[in-house]
Amino acid sequence: MARIEVKSEITGTVWQVKSKAGDTVESGDTLIVIESMKMEIPVITEDGGVVKEILVKEKDPVAEGQVVAVLEG
Amino acid sequence: MASEALLAEYEARRAKALAGGGADKYARRSAKGILNARERIAKLVDTESFIESGLFGTSAVEPHLADETQTDGKIAGYAKIGGRDVAIVVNDFTVKGASTSYTNGRKVGHMKRTATERGMPLIALGESTGARLPDAMGGYGMGMLLGNDNTQFRRTRETPMVAAAFGPSFGSSTWMMCISDFAVMHKGATVAVSSPGLVSMALGEKVSADDLGGWRLHSDITGLVDQAVDTEEEVLEAIKKYLSYMPSHHNEAPPDAPIPAGSGADMDKVFGLLPEKRTQVYDMKRIIRCVVDKDTMFELKPRFGKSAVTTLARLGGKTVGIVANNPLHRGGALDADACRKIVDFLVMCDSFNVPIVLLVDTPGFQIGTEAEKAGAPGRIMNFMNAMTLLTVPHLSVIIRKSYGRAYVCMGGGRHSDDIAAWPSAEISFMSPEFATKIVHGVGYGEPGYEDALKKIEKGIDVWGLASVYAAQAVIHPKDTRDYLIRMLDVYKLRITKGVGQHLMRTWPTSY
Repeated sequence: MARIEVKSEITGTVWQVKSKAGDTVESGDTLIVIESMKMEIPVITEDGGVVKEILVKEKDPVAEGQVVAVLEG
Repeated sequence: MASEALLAEYEARRAKALAGGGADKYARRSAKGILNARERIAKLVDTESFIESGLFGTSAVEPHLADETQTDGKIAGYAKIGGRDVAIVVNDFTVKGASTSYTNGRKVGHMKRTATERGMPLIALGESTGARLPDAMGGYGMGMLLGNDNTQFRRTRETPMVAAAFGPSFGSSTWMMCISDFAVMHKGATVAVSSPGLVSMALGEKVSADDLGGWRLHSDITGLVDQAVDTEEEVLEAIKKYLSYMPSHHNEAPPDAPIPAGSGADMDKVFGLLPEKRTQVYDMKRIIRCVVDKDTMFELKPRFGKSAVTTLARLGGKTVGIVANNPLHRGGALDADACRKIVDFLVMCDSFNVPIVLLVDTPGFQIGTEAEKAGAPGRIMNFMNAMTLLTVPHLSVIIRKSYGRAYVCMGGGRHSDDIAAWPSAEISFMSPEFATKIVHGVGYGEPGYEDALKKIEKGIDVWGLASVYAAQAVIHPKDTRDYLIRMLDVYKLRITKGVGQHLMRTWPTSY
């Protein structure tokens, strides 16, 4: 089982958290939605797995490259 | 009979050479599910098309080790893939870890020279420990072995070059991945300058092979690898598929293919793939899949610079290279990695006469401190320069947003032969939310913002661009496929039979 860090591609503010610890996710699933540049930008996992941790909550500021979720897959 | 003795010796030597590092070593690999070099060749090329060059090569540095250095660890020769000629070099890891030395260096050099001068792709299947020691040690070893062929790593893109990495792929196998037009990696392989062992000795850094040069590093961060796949068979299939899009050399057009049944069947649904609101995103790959010939998308670097999509495909049976923004990532904003990926792809397509289609939906280039630290302005100008050096037909379709300098880079103005736009296209120097502040002095949430925004938004629709003939057509989205097929035919290079000028043939292979 590999620890997989899911990062935000963009600097912005957390708008919605769409998954929680324990969820099984697949490649392409949206975990979190960031509001940036007046757009709704999803944080998408490339890898499938089980969500271990969601590291942000709504309205949190996030920076580009920041780890926002951890999966095990 | 003397002749019988000669033939008996020939057969005995041949059998020994074909046995590589010996039956035991081959069996141990098979038991672990790892293909041996000759099995890889058999799965890669047309049946019985392989003719070997240098079967009887052995170590020239240590002639007394002839028995242990069959083929000198690299199997070379000519074969056919899909009926077309190729030159191949396949490392045999059972022989001295396929390390590079004098004889096998001559074999690789000869394959590259023949491929380049006679116009066929070169394929290198890597798995190697690097330079052979002690052969390359000291001034004598270095002087004899390294750097005596200054074309070894020269890329002037006369013929497509393909590299694959299996297992440990240090030294030459890594270099070949970096100078090739298509680099594919078996998940579990390591592509790196040096092995974890040497890193540990030299730097005291404990690192796993995967962290040092695994597929995630190269797919997600370095972008040095075009595809990473699960099985060895998939590696070999990817090579065959890649070559099916490409010409054998730079002086011919890519081959045509039959148009699969069902191509274009979903075009009436394509406009429905755009979200209702301009602040929402979607996956551009779904639009590409609808537009191109059925199941012909062959994406390169899918996990790197993801706000851009670079994919080979076919339109009406003809090879095209598609460069698209993908709003699903970063809203389609192009960062330094995305620019680099696009430029790599433009260089490859132009060098091998592959026409380009640009599908545009970008709010602009990525801004912010991370982008600047990554040298975004330099990457953007490389992109800009590459667009001015394109000599293959290149068409653009503005799907939705096209802003600022990215409008130009994505084919705006004279940077495409022909620009078509969907009715959903919006074009301006800057996204209206921000332009409102600069032009009318009111920002988001301030009094008068909505009215000011409406004024700004009025000018961004497609009709201004069409009015001044900066878009040559506004098309119904469902007609996009037919329009592109017709326009690729209109703009084809009749005078040179589909061959471009290759002005970027010496562009760095990675930068």
